[in-house]
Amino acid sequence: MIAARWLVALAAAVPVLAAAQCDAPGAKIESDRIVVVYRTVPPKIAVGQHFAVEARVCAKGAGPAPTALRVDADMPAHRHGMNYRAKVSPKGEGRYVAEGLLFHMPGEWRLLFDVDGGGRTERLAANITLE
Amino acid sequence: MKAALVFAAALVPLSAGANGLVPLGPQEIRRIVSHGPWPQPVLRDPSNRASGNPQAIALGARLFFDARLSANGTVACATCHVPSRAWTDGRARAIGLAQLDRNTPSVVNAGLARWFGWDGGADSIWSQGLRAMLDPREMGASPALVAGAIRADPGLACMHDAAFGAGAAARDDTQVMVDASKSIAAFVATLNSGRTSFDEFRDALARGDRAAAARYPLASQRGAKIFVGKGNCSVCHFGPSFTNGEFHEVGVPFMLGAGKVDPGRHGGIKRLQGDRFNLLGQYSDDASGASATKTRHVEMQHANFGQFKTPSLRNVALTAPYMHDGRLAALRDVVRHYSELDMERIHVHGEQLLRPLKLTPGESADLVAFLESLGDPRAGEAPDRLPAVPGCR
Repeated sequence: MIAARWLVALAAAVPVLAAAQCDAPGAKIESDRIVVVYRTVPPKIAVGQHFAVEARVCAKGAGPAPTALRVDADMPAHRHGMNYRAKVSPKGEGRYVAEGLLFHMPGEWRLLFDVDGGGRTERLAANITLE
Repeated sequence: MKAALVFAAALVPLSAGANGLVPLGPQEIRRIVSHGPWPQPVLRDPSNRASGNPQAIALGARLFFDARLSANGTVACATCHVPSRAWTDGRARAIGLAQLDRNTPSVVNAGLARWFGWDGGADSIWSQGLRAMLDPREMGASPALVAGAIRADPGLACMHDAAFGAGAAARDDTQVMVDASKSIAAFVATLNSGRTSFDEFRDALARGDRAAAARYPLASQRGAKIFVGKGNCSVCHFGPSFTNGEFHEVGVPFMLGAGKVDPGRHGGIKRLQGDRFNLLGQYSDDASGASATKTRHVEMQHANFGQFKTPSLRNVALTAPYMHDGRLAALRDVVRHYSELDMERIHVHGEQLLRPLKLTPGESADLVAFLESLGDPRAGEAPDRLPAVPGCR
């Protein structure tokens, strides 16, 4: 068990190995540099119901390690976002929990992940359709 | 859902009005079905320990009709929330101790709401009740006045003590006032609208019962099709309560007169965040804090200016006049508003959701017929007097 903990800690500390952490179950979105694996709590998002997002953020290849995450959402076709601001808490080893999200109407939403790292911010978006 | 899809497929070949059914596609059926089932369960409010307590509900019923809770003894909750008027007052703008700027919303189905008041300036029924009690233009009360009224009436004091397990004499004025509003909230949460002809149609669609669905008038069916389709109404008037519980700017002017505006949701959030009776404060009974998630995370935005809450459409035909300031007298006027929407009035930072619907006269009439079908046929039967409540010794 102790050995296993050391292996996990080592993986978190070495960016080259970091992408492997994002093999966890969940929806995956990625760019050239970043991988985000996330799941919502509860798993099924309902209009008008608060939900949380559990996310794991990893660097791809030898890219700089992500240092911070912000989570937001919008409806581009309606040109508005949420009426609520998510609070993101880091949980260590690239894991984050965003709480307080609420989609207030049906339609096409984008769940937005703004990842800081290497002196820049990269935005990854997941499309979610609510009926 | 599967039954609804099968039913949709069966409907497609029908011409309009054939067999008493208007053709509906699978998406239209899904959207109509999403407006139910009805009634919805009203859950206990964890922020209100009186919620669901029969003794508190009885006390709340008494207090709802009691004008002694106002500064001059003339205004009760029931002054504006008149039972026989679907718990509103039929006026364009409410009159308490003074004229107010907004229309009186119905309290029916309040137990299903997220925010309270046209601006959502309260996050619980009981904090909204306190807002009305303390507003100088509404009831103009004070903690001392409300607590004094309860302590001075042996019947009310007895009911208070039974409901809260603590003597009104031993609790401070503010706490007794909060108890009073929580009792009223417990009563209000019991005011739910019944089933409508739309609900029968919706349930028939959900189970694929063509004969039952055909009993819903054709004009209402056509109106329902517009509501979930061309009209795009169901995007905001969403779900079983026909409201998404949030705030939108819909091209209704919010100028109140020279140099004075109604800030709507912008002012509501400001008020909420400064309200010592909000769900983040010491008077909430929710130790978990879960019910305060909305209050903790709500975000004030520039676009909130001039936004008002999407009202429920249940019983809508009984709650004229309409819009946040009661400027529109009849449902046909509301439909005309959206049909001929003045885009110049939509806030420049507002959402790109509304467009003039450009409805024909027939379509407008159908949409009104649909809205009228959302009325509980028993809604007007409530007497305008204190319901019978058990006494207390």
